[in-house]
Amino acid sequence: MSAILLIAIPLLAAFISILFKKASPYILLFVSFGSVIILGYLPLETITIGGFSAPYGINLVLDQYSLIALYVVDTLFFLIVAIACVKYKKISTVLLVALAGLNGILLTGDLFNLFVFIEVSGIAAYLITTTNKKPLATFNYLVAGTVGSSLYLLGLIILYAMFGTLNMADMSANIASSGLTIAVAFPFLLMFIGLGVEAKLLPFNSWAKGILAHSNKLTGPMIASVYAAAIGFVFGRLLTSVFVFSDKLGLILTIIVIATIVAGEAMAFASGKVREILLFSSIAQSGLVVLIFLQGFVGWGVFLIVANAAGKLILFMIANHASDELGTDEVKAFKGLFVNNKVIGLAFTVASLSAIGLPMFLGFVVKMNILGDLFATGDYLIPAVILITSIVEGIYFVRLLMKLWYKEDNLPVVQYEFVLKYVVVVLAVLIMLFGVYSAPVETTANDIDANTIVEGGNL
Amino acid sequence: MLQYAAIVLLMLGLYGLLTQRNIIKIIISLNILEIGLNLFIVSVGFVDGGLAPIFTSVNNSSNLVFVDPLPQALVLTAIVIGVGTTALGLALAKNIYQKYGTFEIDEMGEE
Repeated sequence: MSAILLIAIPLLAAFISILFKKASPYILLFVSFGSVIILGYLPLETITIGGFSAPYGINLVLDQYSLIALYVVDTLFFLIVAIACVKYKKISTVLLVALAGLNGILLTGDLFNLFVFIEVSGIAAYLITTTNKKPLATFNYLVAGTVGSSLYLLGLIILYAMFGTLNMADMSANIASSGLTIAVAFPFLLMFIGLGVEAKLLPFNSWAKGILAHSNKLTGPMIASVYAAAIGFVFGRLLTSVFVFSDKLGLILTIIVIATIVAGEAMAFASGKVREILLFSSIAQSGLVVLIFLQGFVGWGVFLIVANAAGKLILFMIANHASDELGTDEVKAFKGLFVNNKVIGLAFTVASLSAIGLPMFLGFVVKMNILGDLFATGDYLIPAVILITSIVEGIYFVRLLMKLWYKEDNLPVVQYEFVLKYVVVVLAVLIMLFGVYSAPVETTANDIDANTIVEGGNL
Repeated sequence: MLQYAAIVLLMLGLYGLLTQRNIIKIIISLNILEIGLNLFIVSVGFVDGGLAPIFTSVNNSSNLVFVDPLPQALVLTAIVIGVGTTALGLALAKNIYQKYGTFEIDEMGEE
């Protein structure tokens, strides 16, 4: 069995689902579940496509890094689909294409192929966000996304003209041997901006508010959790294996990212709507992910993405279901939401406390180790930023939790269906489990640091 | 020379995106930007006096100067993706018109 199936089967299923419209949600469920199962049977290898070997043809890289990325993205994708596919039957085909695109993003070892998959999953994302019924916000997202990927392509073509290769491994070897780190800066910045649009980094994230502040049960978790995780993994791949910067350019990027984190947390602090708080917090978190990768910590960056994606799925799922039912997402309207929904409330609490980084949760293990590693390198500025923003995060999340648990006379009535309850509880239990029993997480993180390389993959 | 034309088109597209407040004009600006980009990609593969990169009975020696075929392949993909995005953008424009009755973003009364 080969990893190509992860891209080919969802695409084939997308065509089939057009022919059998009535069965399309079940095809979607089956395929997305199957792509999680199939991951257990794939050998770690580099797959050559079309018989052209690595630098000339496209290759897919399945190493430990992309395997973990695939597990995370596919599992979360399946959970979201399991909850939302019945309500949003019409876009089952689009979701299948999105799955193919996301798997492609994580697998590919070719920079142009990455652009194609980003566009495929991007177009699917625009279509998914049309279920928000806010066409103007979707249009803004489309324009921002298209300009972003055009800039990515422009940077990529300049790099191709300089080095004559599109393969990630070959590119990284060429950059290292040519010593042209300064000349690489401009095309890389173009690519960074392009990916930054998708990753919601600061000056390029104006679309995120329109999409996520009006998101529903499908779009919120899908964009803030699954897509954010996928693009985070792309950043990890590019920043740690292909373009490694430690000089002034690295400093500039670090400042952009720190600005993203600070602005995100500040806006979340100032906001009075539940979905806005969550969306600004997720902007800050994706900034933090890029920051960690910029410092070169692959293993813990991966687990930061895992913790964020799982947490954001729980938070957005619960908040968006409630705002669908109540028709508003003001914190005031949510007051006392968890009094009658204790299980849901506990899951929400676990996810938000893990996002802050309190002990006993996965977020704590990740943040603790990142801070430890940063202090070991003698850097004090970045740990200070992380700690201060964690405190701000703590204040607004605890404030939100107090209101949601607060008992009052007119309690909002929201019914959560069984599947949703089950999914969020299982994810919350996992976050707690790995927060307490952190040994396997630490081993895996060190393992990723030691060998993200397979033959023909990243150098 | 071709590269300058490409960059002018790119900048023109960006200028249009930043200044125009009409949905259709934004889509057109997006297209101009994409055309500039495609032109740039093709220009990268250009070799002065190069032949079309096809082996024929007339051009059958590897000593001949061919232009780089890879950017041409890339630009095909980029064109297809651009068309897809434009089609989606126009579909959204139709939805927006049905909802607000106008193409002007300023007249829609929403952020």
